[in-house]
Amino acid sequence: MRHHFIDRYSDLNSPVHRLDPRVKILLAFLGILIVVSEPPGRLLPFAFYGGLLLVVLLLSRLPFAFLLKRYLILSPFIVMASVFYPVSLYFAEETQAIAFHQETIEVALSIFLKASLSLFLLIWLISVERFHILLLGLRKLKMPKLVGTISILMYSYIFVFWDEALKTTRARESRTPGKLQRIKLRTYANQMAMILLHSWERSKTLHHAMLSRGFHGEFYSMREPGLKKADVLFLALFLLLFLHIRLFTDPLFIQ
Amino acid sequence: MAAGIQIENLSFSYSEEKEVLKNLSLEIRAGEKMGLIGPMGSGKSTLLLHLNGLLTGSGTVKIGDTGVKKDTLPEIRRKVGMVFQNPDDQLFNPTVEEEIAFGPLNFGYSPDEVAEKLKYALEAMRLTGMEKSVSHHLSMGERKRVALATVLALDPEVIALDEPFANLDTPMMMQLLDIINSLSATFIIVSQSLLPLLSCCDRVAIINHGRIVAVGPVKDILQDEELMRNNGLDLGYYKKILRELF
Repeated sequence: MRHHFIDRYSDLNSPVHRLDPRVKILLAFLGILIVVSEPPGRLLPFAFYGGLLLVVLLLSRLPFAFLLKRYLILSPFIVMASVFYPVSLYFAEETQAIAFHQETIEVALSIFLKASLSLFLLIWLISVERFHILLLGLRKLKMPKLVGTISILMYSYIFVFWDEALKTTRARESRTPGKLQRIKLRTYANQMAMILLHSWERSKTLHHAMLSRGFHGEFYSMREPGLKKADVLFLALFLLLFLHIRLFTDPLFIQ
Repeated sequence: MAAGIQIENLSFSYSEEKEVLKNLSLEIRAGEKMGLIGPMGSGKSTLLLHLNGLLTGSGTVKIGDTGVKKDTLPEIRRKVGMVFQNPDDQLFNPTVEEEIAFGPLNFGYSPDEVAEKLKYALEAMRLTGMEKSVSHHLSMGERKRVALATVLALDPEVIALDEPFANLDTPMMMQLLDIINSLSATFIIVSQSLLPLLSCCDRVAIINHGRIVAVGPVKDILQDEELMRNNGLDLGYYKKILRELF
């Protein structure tokens, strides 16, 4: 079975790809923290954050169409969360009057922008590094071993599950003259059950294969992360820029 | 280096109703290549899983001087390399290189040692140049070789192969036989394909209903038509076809 990996662009050779995984993790998470900490209603800083993110994305050489596609898959949730704010005010008697005021709309917009930027940062993070190297980085940042083990197993099982889904779909389609005509629901339910059972069996064997080669819950890589000067400089520079936008764009906004 | 295998009175059941291995005993000499044949569901794969401590039944299993117990598992897993029937059940890393390095890294070898082991395994399995290939995009034959390379990288004393010849074309099978014959480790090979065992095994054991029924030189066992027929391993069909063809 052939399918693309979730981290399909993690093998590109860009300055960002070559950075230590800890730098990417810290930049993404601290970046999100700074963006999210913006007071509601402040919109101008998002233009600067967006510009900064664009620079990071350009340095990563990731295809924009790919990033946009990933974003669009999850964007309905962001849109719903943003729209929900004024709508919820409208349905409460005491706040109905201010539901569609400029300030309310600005808050909704800032929810949308915060969530969008955070999502782009996360998409960027999983696109510029292999998943298991990210876990290795997180372990170096003191993530508990158990969380890492669960994450890597879940990640592996996505492929097992996907493989089984493809196989059973092929088996089903090979015996149907096109679209299913009858007992659709029962067929899909049966197929789903089979996918789960097969995945469970294969997951057990995979776990056996890991154990038989010495797996004990720890992560290793042939490329052991090591912080270099360039890593520290990159992280410091971008975090300072994020912080600068966060702390010093206020007077600009008031004017 | 190779280690012998000693199995004494091994019993195991997945559920209370049915015992899969029944008081099974078998001895394999260090460096010997032993084939394990028998009908479907006779307990062949279950027996292999006991060698690596992935399953533990009652009775004793010894690899060299080391008994397979909970506290000896790291040593046992370094000694016994296990290649599963379906390579897709064995390969879980994105690239061939990472797949092969997984074992040595987990056993705490230094980066230089890992690189050396990786090079050896790639060369031994004729996979040099495929380091960066995505495991799941390889052909079945290549995936089988990668699965064996993951085990060779640990330089095990015992190699357990579960159906290594299944789904292979003839050139690929010949290549695999060459590789098996070139290695000095002790081999235990479970196979439904009986003929390749003639080219690589010193002895074969027949397992049926969880018990070892017969052990002996490959030719002697395969030529014993009654023994084979009684254990669901009739070669008469192939004999008839070959006679018709040639």
